[in-house]
Amino acid sequence: MHHSVSCLSYTWSFSRSSDGPTEPRMRNPSLIKEEFLKRWIIALRRCTSLKKNMNILERNKVVKLSADLAMASARNGTTSWSRALIANATRDNDNRILAEQILGPESEILVKRVSTMPFKTCNRRKIRSKRILKRSCSSAIRRVRKTVPRKVLANCIAKRLIQKRTHILKSLVPGGEFMDETTLMEETLDYIAYLRVQVDVMRSCTYC
Amino acid sequence: MNRALPEMLHCLSGPGNGTDITVLERQRTRVKWQHQEQQNYFGVFLEPSQAGQVGNFQDLVGDGRCGSVLRHVVTHSVKPDPGLENGWPELGRYELPDLGFGSAVLMNGSAAGFEMNSTITRTSSCPHTEAQVAPEAKGKVSEPAEKMSSTVGRESYKKRKADKVQNTKVVAEDDAKDKRSKVCAEEGESKITTEQTRTKNTTTHPNNRETSADTSRENSKASEVQKPDYIHVRARRGQATDSHSLAERVRREKISERMKYLQDLVPGCNKVTGKAGMLDEIINYVQSLQRQVEFLSMKLATVNPRLDFNIEDLFAKEIFPACSANFPTIGSSSEMTNPAYLQINPAQQMVACCGLEMGVNTPDLMALRRTISAPVSLPETYFDASCFTQLQPPSTWDADLQNLFNLDSNQGRSISFPSQPFTGSIEASNLKMET
Repeated sequence: MHHSVSCLSYTWSFSRSSDGPTEPRMRNPSLIKEEFLKRWIIALRRCTSLKKNMNILERNKVVKLSADLAMASARNGTTSWSRALIANATRDNDNRILAEQILGPESEILVKRVSTMPFKTCNRRKIRSKRILKRSCSSAIRRVRKTVPRKVLANCIAKRLIQKRTHILKSLVPGGEFMDETTLMEETLDYIAYLRVQVDVMRSCTYC
Repeated sequence: MNRALPEMLHCLSGPGNGTDITVLERQRTRVKWQHQEQQNYFGVFLEPSQAGQVGNFQDLVGDGRCGSVLRHVVTHSVKPDPGLENGWPELGRYELPDLGFGSAVLMNGSAAGFEMNSTITRTSSCPHTEAQVAPEAKGKVSEPAEKMSSTVGRESYKKRKADKVQNTKVVAEDDAKDKRSKVCAEEGESKITTEQTRTKNTTTHPNNRETSADTSRENSKASEVQKPDYIHVRARRGQATDSHSLAERVRREKISERMKYLQDLVPGCNKVTGKAGMLDEIINYVQSLQRQVEFLSMKLATVNPRLDFNIEDLFAKEIFPACSANFPTIGSSSEMTNPAYLQINPAQQMVACCGLEMGVNTPDLMALRRTISAPVSLPETYFDASCFTQLQPPSTWDADLQNLFNLDSNQGRSISFPSQPFTGSIEASNLKMET
């Protein structure tokens, strides 16, 4: 999978300004890797200092959690998925202490920032109502389908396909359920970049 | 009222002054009608030019009558003006200051003209735009054929959206439109096409070929005439013009732009076109990456029971090829510092090289933890100094790490360290850090 290393020649991040067109900002992939590795190693060390002998499952969890939190803190709350990751990590009480330990001194700031993002609750309601509406509309569409010409039918099928896949993607990207499509695409970009970096670093770690 | 536009066109087709005048008057009526319909901004349709029109346009510009016509059109309410029916001479009655506007509308099929068109109804600064357009118009006199060859139909909409200008084909598209304005537009378009088929002077212009060349030019011009606080959206010809569909279109274009970036990032996405296929690829890719992460983390957990990673080896394998051999000397780098990193290296080194004295490990790790949370302070230097005695190749390794992590220079790192017994130094440093 060397393409992952070579293809990570750029990562895009879109400016968050509401006015004006968003511009992708290029970020050096090796810098990102360095940053990630730094944070991750620190986080791991913090974890291992807390608890010496962990069984394999715990270690697995620790590895992943520390990696996630490391990258999320690197993003510093600019991206939605990072906020969602932190929020997920700090939600369960048993994880919370560990997560806070990993994050270190800046954990309070981060957690505060994450919690102040009011994206979850209001969007949940919106999404629930949207889903109800969609379901009612889809049942109406099904009735009409027989009399509809082929072009429109193909369109409907394509739309359904896209909707389904978007839904799947939303479930994959952390925090994706509460976004609209545009932000979902941005978040996916960022998240893919992060996953690549994670895979590269971890793979090189295993081979040493 | 919704019949006004085609009626006007019918009236205007009366005077047999030539095809160019009918084109002009068609444009005029459109502008009138646009002024009339305040909520929708309706761009002037330009027909593909014929070679014969070029000279006429120049004459018109010179005369100023076209400008007068347009002013009249803009300021007065629309009625099938008898003056218009009689043809050109009557129009000279009306005076218009902004000649540039008229010339622009007539001369160019570019975005600038349309921006002009719409800005007037938006009570923008006319002289400003006119001044902008006038030189453009002059420049365009030389090559109107190209400009006129592209048929553009659009609307502008006041919203904070991205501005896009599109050229479409000459032939009117009979898309179904909801509102009566669109109905009028369609009928107007059909009228124009009938007029065009009547005029068979020269239709050899490669209209569609010019469109792509024009769009770029138009886009650039659109940006320069744009008002600063609005981002205009232009509907394509033959498309819905209500706010919802425009917003929807902008949203769709944003999404497609993001998809292009994703296409670059996700391997194998180039072969698939279309949203569904690309989404599928993206989903597969994300899932595969997540599975890889899971697998690798499990592997790491099994291989490394204590989860200590040898950073030295990591760098030795040149994970970061950007790392160059030159390491900053003392006092060079004043970049961001992270004191914890300083501690990792010696700690790691101790663990790796120093025979794994368990008694050392725990205080080391605890000290490490403390130093990670502690701010940058001088005791770190002692800590480093003590540790580096044990390193086999301290300089290169140290240099790499320094370079990598942008270590702060005022840590006081020096390559040569006094030799001290290992355990004693550790305890000494621990004590220092605990203070």
